[in-house]
Amino acid sequence: MRAVFTFSWSVVLDALHRKMFYVILALTVILILLIPLLPSAEVGVQLGLMREAALGLTSIMAFLLAVILGSTIIPGEIGRRTIYNTLSKPVSRWEYYLGKFLGVMVVLAITLLLTLAILLLFIAAKFGLFNPGLAKALFTIFLEAAVLASAAMVISVYLSPLVCVFLTGLFYVVCHVKGDFLYRAMTGSGNSPLLRGLAGISYYLLPNLERLNINETIAHGESAFKVGAMELVLLTGLALAFTAVMLYIGGFIFNRRDL
Amino acid sequence: MQAVLRIEDLRKSYRTGWRKPRRSALNGLSLEVPRGSIMGLLGPNGAGKTTTLKAVMGLIRPDSGNIWVFGIDGITAEARGKIGFLPEQPYFDLYLTPRRLLGYYGRLAGLNSSQIQSKISHLLSLVDLGEVADLSMERYSKGMLQRIGLAQALISEPEFLVLDEPSSGLDPLGKEQVRDLLEELKRGGKTILLSSHQLSDIEEVCDGVAIINQGLNVASGSLDELLRSRDEYEITLERPLSRLKGKLPPSASWVDGQKKTMILSKKEVNAALKVLLEEGAEIGEVRQRRMTLEEFFFSRVGKGGGEGGR
Repeated sequence: MRAVFTFSWSVVLDALHRKMFYVILALTVILILLIPLLPSAEVGVQLGLMREAALGLTSIMAFLLAVILGSTIIPGEIGRRTIYNTLSKPVSRWEYYLGKFLGVMVVLAITLLLTLAILLLFIAAKFGLFNPGLAKALFTIFLEAAVLASAAMVISVYLSPLVCVFLTGLFYVVCHVKGDFLYRAMTGSGNSPLLRGLAGISYYLLPNLERLNINETIAHGESAFKVGAMELVLLTGLALAFTAVMLYIGGFIFNRRDL
Repeated sequence: MQAVLRIEDLRKSYRTGWRKPRRSALNGLSLEVPRGSIMGLLGPNGAGKTTTLKAVMGLIRPDSGNIWVFGIDGITAEARGKIGFLPEQPYFDLYLTPRRLLGYYGRLAGLNSSQIQSKISHLLSLVDLGEVADLSMERYSKGMLQRIGLAQALISEPEFLVLDEPSSGLDPLGKEQVRDLLEELKRGGKTILLSSHQLSDIEEVCDGVAIINQGLNVASGSLDELLRSRDEYEITLERPLSRLKGKLPPSASWVDGQKKTMILSKKEVNAALKVLLEEGAEIGEVRQRRMTLEEFFFSRVGKGGGEGGR
């Protein structure tokens, strides 16, 4: 377990030395602070719009960090050949793989906590309102980022970072539209059996990331329905299950990869 | 003497592209490294040296064959705890300082904080980087990085060291330091397997060599055993003789301009000695000829060897 923590910490240190990390974080914070300047923000719906736009930006930031870190962390070490020194020590490849993933999650957790703190302070300063409910949305953004990072890491074991970023982006899009689009493709009688089969496999195998998106509900003060503890536990279970499967597949492939 | 490393019939091939034939890197390589020795792995580019070392460290999976380290079949994390590895041209995250880098590898090697601290101080002074231990490695020369590479290989006090081109990129002084370090490690009882292109380095520090060509071990053994020619002898005279033209056996030829030392085939030694004594020569020494490692290497690999593997 000590090796896993050592690997995780190395990812955090590595991320803190990447300009990309600060650029994405700074851009997100600046854009959040600029939301009140939008013309439509002046017509009495400022708070809802502010929260929705801020959560949207935070989702994009988490998506970018998860995909970029997940896609580059292992290929980067292979490319720089630092992995030879590391894996020649008495550690298993499973520990390495799991440690790197957990490191990505720690970076995401730190970033999301920072963003949450800034958001809460900003809303408190602007609207005189303490809005801890936002933490629920950021938590589900974190869960979605875990799924994406685990998927990116599986793809990155064999493919180049660029291809990996592209495929993870595709995975993200398909997993968000699958509920509607794939269901129709699977059941549409006009579609070919091959297309229906592929759509069916994707529908049942891929996670429905739209289920993890509670931004709109939270942004509008949970007026439509409350996101309770049970709902969060369910969503956590869904994300954890998919992430665990992805980690197992990724670790299994990585264990057999020649370096 | 018990072998620290034993490799038997190791085979490895790589896919070279989509729908292209696989390329063999190792074609049934066998090798033994006796305990307490320094074994040099020689071979032309692409002979399979690095593939062999990577297989020993478990960085690649052989197609078939066996590797025993300390008598145990297979490369486990536990086995790696007793091995120190220096890859060819080691790379590190350069924003780190040597002290932090060694701390990181020390933790991975399972050392506790106090062990790490004492090991770091010892290793940094061993590789002569104590004074720059807290500077980031961004401005380090290739030689300094190579020395840090050696230090990280030694962090767990391994019994067996696997070094891929340890002198690569070093200036003559750096090479000398590495040679001294290897000899010191050997005196400390370590077993070392090192690959190198530098025949002179190997000849100076190694007890034995294995020559690899096209994924096969084409010759291995102690240097004395290998370099002593079975068929040729060397006769050295105390003083040069000039009146021998046409009298010596056909295989005899002078190896120096002074005509003091000749080499000839074993079966013609007696005939040559007879002629020499009749001509009044003073015989200094008669011995089995010892080839240079370079001569031996080319006799096994040929001048066109190489690029047969990866």
